[in-house]
Amino acid sequence: MNDRQPGSAAPAVNFEKLVQRLDDAIQSMEESRSFARAGKLPRVLDIARRVLLQPDGCRIIEERSERLEMAGVFAGTDWAEPGILLPTLTTYSLQSQNADTVVIEALSELRLLAVARNSYLHPTVSAEQSHHYLTQVLAINLGLLFGMTGEAEREQGKLALISQAVVQYVAHHIGYEHVIDSLIEEIWRILEQRPIQVWDVRKMITQIALCRADPQADLGSVGRGADRLISSLYGPTRACSEDPGTVVYEQRLETMDAQALQNEATGFARSMHDTGLVSPYHAAFIRFILAGQDTLLSEALGLSSTGRDCLLCYRELVHTLIQEGIYPETAQGIYGLALLLERGILYQPPVAPALWRQARLSLCPHARERLELAYGYQPQPGAWLIQGVLNMLGQPLGVGQGNNPTCQSARALSMWAYNDPDYLLQMVAWAARDNEIVMHFEGQPVSSANSVGGVASEVTLDLDPVSLVVVPHLDRIYVEMGRLCVGREGDPHKWVNPEFHGWSAGRGFAINVEVSTGKLHDLEGFIRHFYASYHPYYNGNQPLIHPQPAGIAVTDSAARFIGWHAITILRAALDPDGEMRIYFFNPNNDSGQNWGDGVKVSTSGCGERFGESSLPFEQFTSRLYIFHYDPLERGEPAEVNEDALRRVIEGVYRSWGQDRLPADALQAEPPATD
Amino acid sequence: MSEQKYNPEKGYVALLGWSLNAVEAADKFDRRYVVVAPDWAEAYCEEHDIPYVPWNFERLNDRSVEIAQTLKDMGVDVAIPLFEETVEWAGAINSVLMEKPRLFGQAMLLRDKALMKRRAQLGGIRVGIFEEAHDKGDVIRFLKRVNQTLLKLDGDPNDPIHLKAFDKAGCLGHRVIRTPDEVDTIPEEEFPVLMESHLDGWEFAVEAWIHNGKIAFLNISEYVTLGYSVFVPATPDLEKYRDQIRGEIEKLIKTFDIEFGFIHPEYFVTSDRTMYFGEVAYRPPGFKVFELLERAYGFNAYQGMILAFDPKTTEEEIQTFFPKEVVDAKGYAGCFGVYPRRRVVSKLEIPDETENHEYFESHELTAPLEETVTKRTAFGTHWGLVYFFGEDPYVMRDLLKHQEDLDFYV
Repeated sequence: MNDRQPGSAAPAVNFEKLVQRLDDAIQSMEESRSFARAGKLPRVLDIARRVLLQPDGCRIIEERSERLEMAGVFAGTDWAEPGILLPTLTTYSLQSQNADTVVIEALSELRLLAVARNSYLHPTVSAEQSHHYLTQVLAINLGLLFGMTGEAEREQGKLALISQAVVQYVAHHIGYEHVIDSLIEEIWRILEQRPIQVWDVRKMITQIALCRADPQADLGSVGRGADRLISSLYGPTRACSEDPGTVVYEQRLETMDAQALQNEATGFARSMHDTGLVSPYHAAFIRFILAGQDTLLSEALGLSSTGRDCLLCYRELVHTLIQEGIYPETAQGIYGLALLLERGILYQPPVAPALWRQARLSLCPHARERLELAYGYQPQPGAWLIQGVLNMLGQPLGVGQGNNPTCQSARALSMWAYNDPDYLLQMVAWAARDNEIVMHFEGQPVSSANSVGGVASEVTLDLDPVSLVVVPHLDRIYVEMGRLCVGREGDPHKWVNPEFHGWSAGRGFAINVEVSTGKLHDLEGFIRHFYASYHPYYNGNQPLIHPQPAGIAVTDSAARFIGWHAITILRAALDPDGEMRIYFFNPNNDSGQNWGDGVKVSTSGCGERFGESSLPFEQFTSRLYIFHYDPLERGEPAEVNEDALRRVIEGVYRSWGQDRLPADALQAEPPATD
Repeated sequence: MSEQKYNPEKGYVALLGWSLNAVEAADKFDRRYVVVAPDWAEAYCEEHDIPYVPWNFERLNDRSVEIAQTLKDMGVDVAIPLFEETVEWAGAINSVLMEKPRLFGQAMLLRDKALMKRRAQLGGIRVGIFEEAHDKGDVIRFLKRVNQTLLKLDGDPNDPIHLKAFDKAGCLGHRVIRTPDEVDTIPEEEFPVLMESHLDGWEFAVEAWIHNGKIAFLNISEYVTLGYSVFVPATPDLEKYRDQIRGEIEKLIKTFDIEFGFIHPEYFVTSDRTMYFGEVAYRPPGFKVFELLERAYGFNAYQGMILAFDPKTTEEEIQTFFPKEVVDAKGYAGCFGVYPRRRVVSKLEIPDETENHEYFESHELTAPLEETVTKRTAFGTHWGLVYFFGEDPYVMRDLLKHQEDLDFYV
C-alpha cells in the first residue's frame, strides 16, 4: 500500500492555487445548468479532498460551506436535509474507504459548524440544532478526536487524516476542552427525560469510558463528572466496580453472605434510580436472587411501599416476566419493571392477565425478524419484546419516535401506556402475534394488513421493541384513516385523532389555521376557547382528566416555522414558582428544544415529571394550532385578560404566523424539530 | 432544466449524438438547439426539459431522409456532428437542409480514412505510404515492401507500420506492427484496415473552426506521447510552425471543399520541416481537448462550433467570439490518460507527487472494478484522464511525460 513511487519527492502544495482551483470548481458548478451539475461534482469533491488534507483546509471549506451547499454538492443525498442526519452514522462515513463519502461527510460537518457559529444562516437547521448535533458527532467519534486510530483508519490510508482533521477542527471551535464536559451534561439532560431507548446514551458513555481508559488520550481534568454514568453501566456496586464480567460476578455472588447481597441490592437500586440506566450486572444479580433469595427483589428494584405491595400481590407474574424477559442484554427492562410496579397499574383487572399473555406470546415471523434485525439473536425476540413492554408501561413518557416521521403513532403508544395499559397490551399482542391490527374509523374496519403504505416509507430500526413491532401497523392505519377523509373540508385530524387514539380524545376540534389557504383563522376565538377548556383559572379549576392530543407549530431557535408536530397535553398546573404551565409529552427523542422568541421547552426544574416537557401557558398557546375538547362541556370563551391575549397573539405573529402557512401536511417531520 | 433564452434572429442547430458538455454549452448559448440522440437519452431529456428528437444512428439507410425531413420541418438550419459515427449523418442531413447534395459526398470522404488520404494526395497534400489491407497476407506484403524501400537488409530491425480501422475515431483499433509474427495477433474481424508507413516525426493535431471557407480559430495541440497526453497551446518549438501549418490547413479546406464547421486533422512534421498529413475528422477531438481549450483560453469550444456551423453567423460575431491564438491563452492546459501499469491492481491511489504538483487540477479516475488488468491490445482505452494547468509549456510537457512512469492503480 505504501509503495514509494519512483521519481522526485512530492513537492509542497501550493495552497493558494489549490484554493483558487476549489473556487473555480465551485463556480463552474454554480454556473452549470441543473441537468449538467452532477457532472461537475466529482471535480469539486476531489479538490475539496485535497484542500482538506492541508493544514488550513477545514477553515477554507467552512468559509465556503454556504456556497458549496447552494451549488448543490449535497443535492439528492441525505446530507441535503441536515435535520434528518443521525450523529451515529457519521462514524461509518468518516471511516469509509470511499473518498467521496468521507469528503461529503466532512463538508457536511463543516457546514453545520458554520451554521453553529452563525456565519451561515441555514434555511432548515438552526445554530442550536447544529451545535447540538456536532456535540453528539464529537462524542461518538471521540476516538478520532483524541487520535486513537484503529484498523479502520489504517485501511483508510490518507483519508483518515481528513476525518481526524475535521473532527478536531470542529472540536476546536465548539470548545475542545468542554466537549466531554458538555457531553456529560448532555447525557444527564437526556437521562432526566428518562427515555426508553438509551442505546445512544450507552454508546456515548462507553466512548467516554474508552477515552478515559486510554493512556494516549490526554484528557487532563476533563470528564471527571462521568464517574457516575460509567459506573451505572459498568460497575454500579462494590462487587463489580472493576467491571469483571458477568461470569466472574456470578461466581462472586455464590460466595456472598446475606449482608453482602443486601448491599449489592441497594447499590444496584440506587444507581438505577439515579440515572435511569441499568447495568447488565443488575440483571445477573436479579436472576441469581430469584432462585431462593427473592426477598431481596424489592430491595434490588428500589421499590417504595406501593411498589412492594404490588410485587407481593403479583409475585408469580413478576417472577415469570423476569425469567422470560430479563437478561444482561435486556437489563434496561428492570427499570421499566420497577416503575410499572410503582404505578400500581397491575391492580387494574385486565392488566395482569394481559401480561401473562405477553409472557407466553408466540411471535409471528415478521415481528421476530424485525426484533432480530434490530437487537440480534440473543436473547430470544420474545424477551426483547417483554423488556419493551415493561419499559413502555413503566415509562409511558419515555417513548420516542426514532428517526421516523411517525410522531402520531409514538404519541398513541405513549397515551395508551399512560392511560389505557391493557389496550396497549392488546395492540402489542395483535401486532406481534397476528401481524395485523384492526381499528375502526366511523364504524368501518381499517386493517393494517390491507393498507398500502404509511407516512414512513420504511420504519427504521432505531426504536424500542414495542414501537419496532407496533408502529408499522399503526402508521399504516393512521394514513389509511387520513385517506378516508380525503374530500372532506377541513383538517383531517379532526376525525382521525379521536378515532385513532381512542374514546378519551375529545371529539370537539379547534384549529386556528384555514386549511385551504394556510392562513391564520380566528386566532382570538381559538385562544379564548383553549383557555376556557384547559386553563384552571378559566375552567373552574378542573384538572385535565385524560391526556389530549394536540398539534404544535414547531419553530426553530430563530422562531422560524419548521413543521406541524403531534404532542399530548398531560396537565396544566402551577410550577414551583407559582407560574401556570402546560405539561406535555413530545414524542421527539429529545424534547429539550428551543422554539425561538424566548420559548424554551423545559424538561426538568419546573415541576416536570420524568419525560414531561413544559412551557408557561401563554408561550405554549403561542405555538398551539390544534386542540381537542369535549363538545358537551364547551363553556363560554374565556374572558382572557387583554394583555395576556395580546402577548399570545404577538407570539404567534413573531414566529410561525409570520407568513402564509402550508397546511396540507398530514404530519410533522420529526427530526426537523429534534 | 433548460433555461435557454435564444436569439430568434440566429440559426437553429441540431446536435447529433449525446454529449452532456455539448448540450450544456448549447443551453448557455444564444442559438436555439435540439438534441438528436438515441432513445436512451429520452428520459433524461424529458426530465430536464432538454429539446430532443429521438434517432438511432445506425448505418445510413432508406429511412435516413426521415430525420432530415423532420429537422427541416422543425426549421433547423444545420446539423452538427459530435461523434465520428454521426459525421455522415450530418452530411446527409445538411445536404437536405441546405439543399447542397455535395455535402453528403464530402462527409463520406471524411468518414473513410483510405478515401480521405487519396483525396488529400489528389489535392497535393503530402501523405505517407498507405494501402488498404483485406487480410493478413496484405499486411505482411506491405510490411516487407515498406522496409525494402527503406533499403533495410534481412536481420535489420524493421521500421514499424501502422494499422487503423477505416472509420473509427482516434486510437480505436490502432495497432503498430513490426514483425510478420505480430500479424497473427490481429483478429480477422478487424479487416479491412488501412496500413501506413511509420513516420519518424513529431505528431500533433490541429483544431480549426471554419467560417465562410476561412479559418476562424486555429489551435495546435501538442502530443507528448500519442495516446497518453496532450496539451494546449503547444510549446514555442511547435508553434514556430504555425504559419506553415496554417498553409496546410488552407490546402485541406480547399481540397475537401469545406465551407463551414470544424475540423480536427493530425499531422507529422519531420526533422526537415516537412509536413505529412495523417487524417482529418469533422467532429470534436477526443481526449477532452475542448475542455482544455476552455481552460486555457476561456471560450467554450462547443459554442465555437455552433457559431462556425450556423449559416446565420456574421463575421463580427466570429471576430468577437474567438480569442487571439496563443497570446490570449492564460496558461497551458494538459491532460494525461491513465493506463494501469500493473497486472493486478486493487485500488486507485493518485501519486503524491502528482497530487501535490502545482499544476495538478483534477482527475476523473474511478476505483478499479476488477483486480486483473486485461492486456492491452492495440492502443486500447485509458481508464480516465488527469488534468493539469500551469504557466510553463516545458514544465507541462515534462510533467505529462513523467506521469507515464507513475502508478495510479496499485
